[in-house]
Amino acid sequence: MSTQVELKEGTSLPAVIKNIRQDNINLYAKASGDFNPIHIDADYARKTPLGGTVAHGMLILACVSQMMTSAFGRDWLSGGKLNVRFRAPARPGDVITVSGSIRHIEKGDGHQMVDCDVLCSNQNDEPVITGDAKVKVGDNENRS
Amino acid sequence: MPEQSKTEYQDLKAGQKFPPAAFQIDATTVSDYLKAVEEDNAIYQNTGLVPPMAVAALALKSLIGAISMPPGTIHVSQEFEFIDTVNTQDTLTSHASVNRIQERGKLHLISVDINVSNQEQKPVLSGKTSFILPVP
Repeated sequence: MSTQVELKEGTSLPAVIKNIRQDNINLYAKASGDFNPIHIDADYARKTPLGGTVAHGMLILACVSQMMTSAFGRDWLSGGKLNVRFRAPARPGDVITVSGSIRHIEKGDGHQMVDCDVLCSNQNDEPVITGDAKVKVGDNENRS
Repeated sequence: MPEQSKTEYQDLKAGQKFPPAAFQIDATTVSDYLKAVEEDNAIYQNTGLVPPMAVAALALKSLIGAISMPPGTIHVSQEFEFIDTVNTQDTLTSHASVNRIQERGKLHLISVDINVSNQEQKPVLSGKTSFILPVP
C-alpha cells in the first residue's frame, strides 16, 4: 500500500476518532503488559489525584500511528518518526480525535521527507497529545 | 519475558545501561493489540507485519520492568523512529540506557534511550522516553 494522501503542504491527514472505553484499556494492558493500576483498577485510581482510571498514553499514541499508517502505508512502518508530548490524560468516556496535516515537504535524492503536525484532542478540544511526525516517502509512490 | 530485578529510580545514573531484554511478538499478541487500539488496516491482516507501536509498547514493557517507579510517575514525552518492519517470527532485543536525569524542584525528569534490534542485529526501532517522577 502506498501513500494515500496528496503530498502537498497543508494537506490534512485522515482523522481518526476513538471512543475511549475501559475494556479497550484493559485489552491494551494485556497486549502491552503494562498493568499499572492507574489504568485498570478503578478503586485504586479513584484515590489518586487523577480521580479515576486513565488510558495508557501509548494507547492514544497508537492512534496517531494508525492515522500515519492510513496516510502513508508501509513507508510509515519503515521510515516513520514520532516526537510527541503527553499533555493531558484520556479517560474512559472521552472521545479522542486524532488529526494532522502536512507542514513541510523536503525533496531528497529519490525520496521526499514529509513533516506533519499531529494532535490528539478530547471532546472539549483540550490537547491530549501534541507533536510531529516525519515520514520518508519514495518518489515512485502513487499520488492521489 | 523473564522477570528481572528492578532498579529503584533514585539509584539511576545518567549513562546507566539496563540488561538487554529479548522478546517475540506472536500473532496472538498482535491480534490482541489490534483489538485494543481498534486498528483494522489491511496492512496487518494476514501479512505477519507487527504494528510498530506494538513493538514500541513491548520495548517499554521491558523498561517498566527494569525500573521501580513511584506512584505519581507521569509519561511526559516520547520519541520513536521506526527503522524497519517487524514480523511475527522475529526475535527482538531491546537495549535501554539512561540518557538524562534532571531535578526540577520536587520532581525528577528521567529520559531513557531505547534501541530495538532483530535477530540479525539490524535496528528496527529507536526512541527516547521521558518520565517525571516525584522526589521522595
